[in-house]
Amino acid sequence: MTKPLLPLTPPVFHILLALADEERHGYGIMQDVARQTNDALQLGPGTLYGCLKRMLAAGLVEESDERPDPDLDDERRRYYRMTALGQRTVRAEAQRLADAVSAARTRRLLDHGRPGLAGGRA
Amino acid sequence: MPTASVVRWFCRVYSVLLYAYPRTFRLEYGGEMAQVFRDRCGYVAHRQGRPRLFRFALHTGIDWLSTIFQERVASMFETARGITVAGGCRRAARLARAVWSAGRRQQPYGFVAEWVMTAIVFLFATTTLVQAYVIPTASMEGTLRVGDHMLVDRVAYANPGSFGSHLLPYRDVRRGDIVAFLYPEDVRQTYVKRVVGLPGDCIRLVDKQVIRNGRRLIEPYTQHIDAYMDAYRDDFPTRPEFFTTPRGRAMFEQSVRDGQVTVPPGALFVMGDNRDDSSDSRYWGFVPRGYVVGKPLLVYWSYDAPTADLQAWSVTHAFDVGLHFFSKTRWERTFLVPRSRSAQEDGGNR
Repeated sequence: MTKPLLPLTPPVFHILLALADEERHGYGIMQDVARQTNDALQLGPGTLYGCLKRMLAAGLVEESDERPDPDLDDERRRYYRMTALGQRTVRAEAQRLADAVSAARTRRLLDHGRPGLAGGRA
Repeated sequence: MPTASVVRWFCRVYSVLLYAYPRTFRLEYGGEMAQVFRDRCGYVAHRQGRPRLFRFALHTGIDWLSTIFQERVASMFETARGITVAGGCRRAARLARAVWSAGRRQQPYGFVAEWVMTAIVFLFATTTLVQAYVIPTASMEGTLRVGDHMLVDRVAYANPGSFGSHLLPYRDVRRGDIVAFLYPEDVRQTYVKRVVGLPGDCIRLVDKQVIRNGRRLIEPYTQHIDAYMDAYRDDFPTRPEFFTTPRGRAMFEQSVRDGQVTVPPGALFVMGDNRDDSSDSRYWGFVPRGYVVGKPLLVYWSYDAPTADLQAWSVTHAFDVGLHFFSKTRWERTFLVPRSRSAQEDGGNR
């Protein structure tokens, strides 16, 4: 890639997060992103497949030929999985965000008292 | 209508809308997009209820509008470079493409067809959803200036009782809203004014001061450019003999009682913010509710030009724009959003 990939746009980042633990088809990605973000980010089909197209071209994800459970699932669905490059990229992006969050924390912009919001301290 | 058939109807509409995407993209992903849309619709309808379903449909519509543009621009660059970014290139997709393009000439006919389709989609979007207007006169000066080019949101207000009013997040016209409407005396013209009276409101003016339902309004958005008191304009409606149009006469005959005008059902009383230089409901009567076109969305370009140049296209104006585009464009007004502001009633009874 000639273009630097970071920072990722929120849809691309959340799609990669959704694919981090398992292969998913388009609808699975959409559902998982909605779950991750408590419905704050709802990908429309156009955004979802537009991103997937660009991510395939950039080599962040690839199509998987295996079906996790051929009996249960619709044969026509395409499954996507993350590539090694995708994994490195999502790690780097998560690290970048973590750095930004800790910078915000040192400036007392995050509420420590509410673990639900700030994640709390161990 | 049962929810299942609403979902089916949405899916049918969506599968037609998919044709607005560039062909390569549609062939590669269209089937799955329709499937994802159907699955999500079913999930939302089942788990979250019908209001959320309509919100999801609206959200998908916005997603559709923004991504067709994105994909079309992308496909233009791809065609120009001769690159095919068909990720995966699966056999099934290739077969489908072969079937689809059998007997069709790909180039340059396909390229032209794509762009004709784009033009149709945007024409549709810009005539039904938003429309561009220019402000030619100073009647809203202070809020909107002569030469403001703006987009009007045509779906902001529902027509009462229409099917769409249950479907989309419409709301009704409120006092203080700026509205675009067809000028009742000549429907070929579109005017933009502020709503002062809704049906049932009693309006009068005393010394340029609006009194609505017996209460004096504090209107921060108005401006007065004239110290002179005009008996008709500023102490309205006390001088019926000076009415200027047939509709003005009808208003005086039918709606004026006890020195104030009562707005009839299904009508609006509108006035320009530039009160001393505005041709508005005081002169030509009420605006029928059905004449309301929409709500000004934003000013996308403001150009300092005289009224005559803005009303009709002229060569001199085109030259003027070419020569002075950067100096006469009011950059600070670009993407300005005209706000609805409600007047306060100070409670002073008069």
